[in-house]
Amino acid sequence: MSSATLAPASPASTTAPPAPASHGRRRRLQHRSVIATILLAVLLLFFLLPILYLFSVSLMGQNETGQGVLVSPNPQWTNWSDVLTQSNLLLSILNSLIAAIGGALITLLFALPAAWAIVRYRTGGSTLSATIMSPWLLPPIVAVVPLFTLLRIAGLNNTLLGLTVLYGLMNIPVGIWLLEGFMRKLPRELDEAAKLDGAGAFRVLVSIVTPLVAPAVVAIGIIVAILNYNEFLLATFIAPGKDTQTLPVLLSLFYGERTPHYGKIAAASIIGVIPVYAAAVLGQRWLVGGLTSGAVK
Amino acid sequence: MADAALTVRPRRPRGQSRREAWAHRLFVTPSVLTLLILGLYPLLFIIAAALSESTLGKPFQSWVGADTLAAVLGDADTVAAFLRTVVYALGVSLASLVLGVVVALALQSAVRGGSLVRTLVLLPMFMPPVVVGTLWKLVYNSGGGLLATVVGFFGGDRQAVAPLSSTSWAMPAIGLADVWEWTPLVALLVFTALVAQDHEIVEAARLDGAHGFRLFWSVTLPSIAGVLAAAFFIRLVLAFKVFDLVFMMTSGGPGQATTTSSYEIYQAVFREFDVGKAAAITLVLAVIVTIVTIPVALITRRLQANHE
Repeated sequence: MSSATLAPASPASTTAPPAPASHGRRRRLQHRSVIATILLAVLLLFFLLPILYLFSVSLMGQNETGQGVLVSPNPQWTNWSDVLTQSNLLLSILNSLIAAIGGALITLLFALPAAWAIVRYRTGGSTLSATIMSPWLLPPIVAVVPLFTLLRIAGLNNTLLGLTVLYGLMNIPVGIWLLEGFMRKLPRELDEAAKLDGAGAFRVLVSIVTPLVAPAVVAIGIIVAILNYNEFLLATFIAPGKDTQTLPVLLSLFYGERTPHYGKIAAASIIGVIPVYAAAVLGQRWLVGGLTSGAVK
Repeated sequence: MADAALTVRPRRPRGQSRREAWAHRLFVTPSVLTLLILGLYPLLFIIAAALSESTLGKPFQSWVGADTLAAVLGDADTVAAFLRTVVYALGVSLASLVLGVVVALALQSAVRGGSLVRTLVLLPMFMPPVVVGTLWKLVYNSGGGLLATVVGFFGGDRQAVAPLSSTSWAMPAIGLADVWEWTPLVALLVFTALVAQDHEIVEAARLDGAHGFRLFWSVTLPSIAGVLAAAFFIRLVLAFKVFDLVFMMTSGGPGQATTTSSYEIYQAVFREFDVGKAAAITLVLAVIVTIVTIPVALITRRLQANHE
């Protein structure tokens, strides 16, 4: 508040831009925040226009794409119904959801105790956390062939179960990393009091720690599930079969058709994005805290 | 945070029983096993494959020593792909960092920067990369995509706009899609740091006459430097992983113009079935990624420690 009252004294705000200042109320606004608002609008356009364009293309006929048409004068909703009924789109979305949510649950199950032991008891010393994180640094293509071989030996090749387990294990480092930030903030007194009352390590984790970090657990669950839902590289090698293919795998195949129908590709893309966007919007309250916990300390 | 733990000494409290310590070890066991399966095992597999004659069907046929590695390092195309990957990762990360800071500052000082706007800005990063690739391929569509139409609107030649079929523009075009996708993450991290800034210090600096760029440079920037470094580090790691965008938008072309190392490894495995060559490229790539990211990680740690 005080910045607003002090601002007129600063030279930056004395030269208000004439155009947006026509409104009576706006005149009082700082020069700086007017520029920021215009800038934000331009940036918002940069981030949203491509998504709106994808939607627009999803309603275009075969001959309209690539012809300089921005919005079809004759929207083809049949693109949407065609991809829903004539392709494996719904099955692939279901596969993606199973692998994404199942994987997220496995990740949380393992990451929660590990993050707790690392943060509070320094189990494994100061290097364990960094060591567990290290495979995440390398491009995943690095591990495709060895993991492919391993899953073939285990008989989990081309199954949704194999992919789900792989996703679950793969994201444990990210889960630990994000959870650590939240667990450090827990006051020591709480779990020490529980311990004095005779609660064992497992009991402390389940009845004291987990409820306290529940919002973080929700946030990290959503983040990891979105990462899984969007994953393409491993899914295309490990579960490429018609019954097990996930959404990104199915979408990648659309371009391979002899005459790709851009309108239908766009429609399938939009439909496939809906579950993630729904999760992101519904979970935004928790998401922001979860996304920033690892880097902003 | 690390400092606080150090002053209390890293030793466990004396009263803690042996049983407790074992329980804590049990807590980390699944994660450590995972590290062995998903980290150590692939590493050993790749080292063995790089040093032997290996195909997708039959790995480890015969020992060839460092021959494959030497061949890979002597191959001009492969070396060019390494160089392309590093330049791409650094360029894209730097662009995301600068744009992310601009977005965060705009969000902080704009009249309307509520939670709805913040959620809208985040939408690109939740989109599957395969869809991001599809989307930008449509935007760049030669002759009549969004980009060409906009260029045509401003009087340019619509037919001349075909960035994905130009050897010099294809890589920057993929880079723009990558920046579009991941800048929101950087913006979110920086925005959170800006909000968490000590407002009394900012006010004090303002009373002393600092404002605008000077305020940002001498007060705000030092206080968010740790987060900036962390965001750059995360961004760099993500940029080195780029595969889906190349796969969807250009398949490595035109020519070799967008063949990054990840894509080259993919080609070696699934087009040539030469796992030995792929493993050798993988090993060199792992070394390069480590060399590039470790200094950034160290700077990050240092800046974050300074801040505390």
